[in-house]
Amino acid sequence: MGNPALSNENKSKPHKPDPAITAALKGWKTHSGFWLKAAVAIGLTSGLLLIAQAWLLANIVNAVVFAKAALADVMPSLWGLLALFLLRAGLAWASEQAAFHAAVQVKLAIRAQLYQKVQQLGPAWLTGERSGDLLNTLSDGVEALEAYYARYIPAMSLMALVPLAILVFVLANDWLSAVVMLVTAPLIPAFMILIGKGTEKRNQQQWQQLARMSAHFLDVIQGLTTLKLFNASRREAQVVAQISDQYRQSTMSVLRVAFLSSFVLEFFGTVSIAIIAVLIGFRLFWGELDFLYGFFVLLLAPEFYLPLRNMGTQYHARMAAIGAAEKMVGILEEKGGEEGEVMCVPELRTHSLVLQNLSFTYPDARTALTNFSLDIHPNETLAIVGASGAGKTTLINLLMGFLQPQSGQILIGDTPLTAIAPDAWRKQLAWLPQKPQLFPGTVADNIRLGNPSATLEQVQAAAEQAYAAEFIVKLPQGYDTLIGEAGQGLSGGQVQRIALARAFLKDAPLVILDEATANLDRASETLVQAGVERLAQGRTLVMIAHRLRTVQTADRIVVLDQGTVSAIGAHAELLVSSPLYQQMQAAYGGEA
Amino acid sequence: MNDLLRLLRLFKPYWGWAALGMGLSFITLLANVGLMAVSGWFITAMAMAGVAGVSMNYFTPAALIRLAAIVRTAGRYGERLVTHEATFRMLAELRVWFYERIEPLAPAVLEQYRSGDVLSRIRADIDTLNNVYLRLLVPVVVAGLATLVFVVALLFYHPLLALLELSLLLVAGMLIPWLMNRLGHDAGQQSVETAAQLRSALVNDLQGMGELLVYGAADAHAAHVQQLSQTLAAQQQTLSRLNGVAQGALGLCANLAMWGMLVLAIPLVRDHAIAPPELAMLALFALASFEAVLPLPLAFQSLGETLAAARRIFSLADQAAAVSEPAHPLPVPERLDFALREVGFRYQLQGDAVLEGLTLDFPQGHKLAIVGVTGAGKSTLTSLLLRFREPSSGELLLGGQTIAQYSGETLRQHIAVVPQQTHLFNTTLRENLLLAKRDATDAELEAVCRTALIHDFITQQPEGYATWVGETGVRLSGGQAKRVAIARALLKPARLLILDEPTEGLDPETATQVMANILAHVEHNGQSLLLITHRSHGLEAMDQVLHLP
Repeated sequence: MGNPALSNENKSKPHKPDPAITAALKGWKTHSGFWLKAAVAIGLTSGLLLIAQAWLLANIVNAVVFAKAALADVMPSLWGLLALFLLRAGLAWASEQAAFHAAVQVKLAIRAQLYQKVQQLGPAWLTGERSGDLLNTLSDGVEALEAYYARYIPAMSLMALVPLAILVFVLANDWLSAVVMLVTAPLIPAFMILIGKGTEKRNQQQWQQLARMSAHFLDVIQGLTTLKLFNASRREAQVVAQISDQYRQSTMSVLRVAFLSSFVLEFFGTVSIAIIAVLIGFRLFWGELDFLYGFFVLLLAPEFYLPLRNMGTQYHARMAAIGAAEKMVGILEEKGGEEGEVMCVPELRTHSLVLQNLSFTYPDARTALTNFSLDIHPNETLAIVGASGAGKTTLINLLMGFLQPQSGQILIGDTPLTAIAPDAWRKQLAWLPQKPQLFPGTVADNIRLGNPSATLEQVQAAAEQAYAAEFIVKLPQGYDTLIGEAGQGLSGGQVQRIALARAFLKDAPLVILDEATANLDRASETLVQAGVERLAQGRTLVMIAHRLRTVQTADRIVVLDQGTVSAIGAHAELLVSSPLYQQMQAAYGGEA
Repeated sequence: MNDLLRLLRLFKPYWGWAALGMGLSFITLLANVGLMAVSGWFITAMAMAGVAGVSMNYFTPAALIRLAAIVRTAGRYGERLVTHEATFRMLAELRVWFYERIEPLAPAVLEQYRSGDVLSRIRADIDTLNNVYLRLLVPVVVAGLATLVFVVALLFYHPLLALLELSLLLVAGMLIPWLMNRLGHDAGQQSVETAAQLRSALVNDLQGMGELLVYGAADAHAAHVQQLSQTLAAQQQTLSRLNGVAQGALGLCANLAMWGMLVLAIPLVRDHAIAPPELAMLALFALASFEAVLPLPLAFQSLGETLAAARRIFSLADQAAAVSEPAHPLPVPERLDFALREVGFRYQLQGDAVLEGLTLDFPQGHKLAIVGVTGAGKSTLTSLLLRFREPSSGELLLGGQTIAQYSGETLRQHIAVVPQQTHLFNTTLRENLLLAKRDATDAELEAVCRTALIHDFITQQPEGYATWVGETGVRLSGGQAKRVAIARALLKPARLLILDEPTEGLDPETATQVMANILAHVEHNGQSLLLITHRSHGLEAMDQVLHLP
């Protein structure tokens, strides 16, 4: 899994170079299958039919004005015109469908890839990321790709094809107009690129601003109660106003340039058509050109510039996509490292877990573990104690494979942890974190997290063992009670006990408890402690603990001090041999 | 529709901006149609003059063409600037309005919503509302005005021409959008809801990724996200399909208008009722005039989505707060002498009582500990004292008066709290502390951090007090975050300090030391102390210990 925690550096990293993002966006085209090509082909067909339509129209007007034709004379052409209209309406629909399909395929694929990658990078990596920011990338960011694939890419291809086809027909009828078109057409994309270059940077900033705004709102809303406690919630309204206003200003600064670029494009288009019209007008006046050809070319002239002008309006789709894709490329390129492939994990009930010379330093240079070695015996209950920041949390992150040591290794029997497939390894684990997360769904669903097919009886039995059954049956709908985010409506201790029931239900050989009883009152702590001891039967149990009372019965206690082992032993031994342990014991006095 | 009108009233301060944007949009449209029509006439007239060998005044039409071209190009630029500026101003207004409406709902009412959902409301839904002005009001008003002008202009030529134009404009501008609206309504509403569900699912999954992985539920959750993603795509496809039909039908209407114009006008040319150059003019005019109704199908289609977003925003904003503030609040007394008389509380009318018949005196300067099992309403008592909730029965008195007579906000100025679940904001440690006292000096910050035993840790950080706290404080360990929260509460100049399990997550030595420091701080400042705990340890120093069952 490499070293995901290093990604914290990302925040200070400069922007990704645009070519890398553009290349990634182009690469993602493959997800769209043949739909993109279909959209372009349909668009081109429609363009060719448009030329035929202009030719028929010019013929009709010419016949009526100059050949004094009656309605009946031009009726066949009019019917032809009508048929073309219907056909083109159908093609417009078809091309919209094809383009949409193309974009949807990409969106689905990229969202799935991103989610999978985030999973692979794991919780230790997520700790360094703003979840509001990530959320925005995975939801709105992915949606922002739609316009790029559904509009920009087809428009880009049509820009090259349709004007070329028109040019051929114009050249055949009026070479002078063709020359004007040839000279003016390249100016449009040239200007567009010139202006676009300046906008891209700003657009990326704009996207970051949106992400920041999103993260800020999530933070404010989750902390609204805290703000109220400090009477700062009203003041925050001003901050909300300020951020919204900054967002407006930065968006407008991007849009101003985008609008200016389409202004320039439109201006060029209009001037060029005007030149063509004037040249045609005077040659008609002087009798140098037939009205039929003049009118035909004049009808085609706006169509010649239209795809070029469309480019301008689609261009910001490209910029929005680049802005959104920057973060995605960053995530997808994040080094997930190699995952082991061994599916067969040595039996933990008979094999030791060997931690050899582990060292771990966080990207902010905080050293968490130095040359840490420890054998965890099968079926033992091992407690890890130590002051805050002694490296306890890092140690269990390493054990669970969420972090990788910079040096040293973890062996299960003789198999290094790095060789084992993460899924296979996690099957051996049950984990009770400090702040368990409950997911939307019922209480029973939450207990079933690791074992969705468990029967209600099994769920009830697990809850019983975790001393959760008692309060669950008192909930309005018992096990079917729906749970809100972060278990709102449940107390911290109740959330802990639901999470403990999860661990009971999973029945894994290695159980990791992260200060599991921290939020339980003394009465339920005693009960849970008994439950934990029951869980420890025939399993390896590694627990981080603050309260020494809960570790007294552990087979061994590891006293951790600044990333190294200060002492190992049973409670009674340590009371004699470890001054640090004695201090901790003294601090707890009557509690212990 | 009521939601729409309410929205318009909220936008009142920006009506000037809105009108300016519409005006510019209308002028631009007229210039564009004029440009096409005059060009068609000009070319044909020039050709006829050439063939007939007569001279003609080409200065006036040429000048008209130039003018129209300039107005069209500049007008579009101005229109875009003004309409977008107006939109963003309205959105900022709306966002603040929404925040101010949900602020009184915290925490009692908001607890029922998931925060990802609220976020989706405040940001994405409000963004969706930019449709109201930009995609709905502007196009509809401009299309209406333009239709009137076009039809009147055609009446000068022939009533039939005007009738043709009017009926096709109505089909394109009203019938098609109306159909789109009907057919797209459900999908539009569903897609807003699915997008919100997707965000919610993502928030939960990102925050609980560790458990999902360990418990092997990650794949199931990934599949759920993928399924939501696909549902969203399917709903979007329905909308896209409708959009494709609408665009095709609209283009067809414009073409049909031109076609009909030819069919009707060719005999008129033969009868010399209209001049030949006017044939080309009318044909091009008819084609160009449909630009007026081009944005309407999209406008009406987004109406469903927009109304759903507006509904969600208003439904949350209209929730009644759990506590009603008195019209004429009493001034908060110098001494916070609380007295509880038979106080009871239940979350639901029919639910179990979490507090029942609690009678207790808690005068200023006292140290009260509440000990009890989890979920026994200890935290509820805090909510009552803070006036986040009202007692369901009995009386809670402050200075002899019922607490309902005081403004909750003024009361809270005098109370500092360390809640069981602390929240640190994603900013620097200093900013997090300053929340308690904006003008605190560095010395004050240091003093409280020393008291909470967190100063040494902070100064060990490379950036000291300027160290950035990760989202919801995750880069600090639980114990560190708790101690920062304690320091923050101590910094607040309060008369009552409420500590809800203050030493959870601290190792024993630190816990004992921090508690001793807090007691010294409280005594030195003459504060009352309410300690909520489940430990029997360290209660010797308290004046009263209340055991809740």
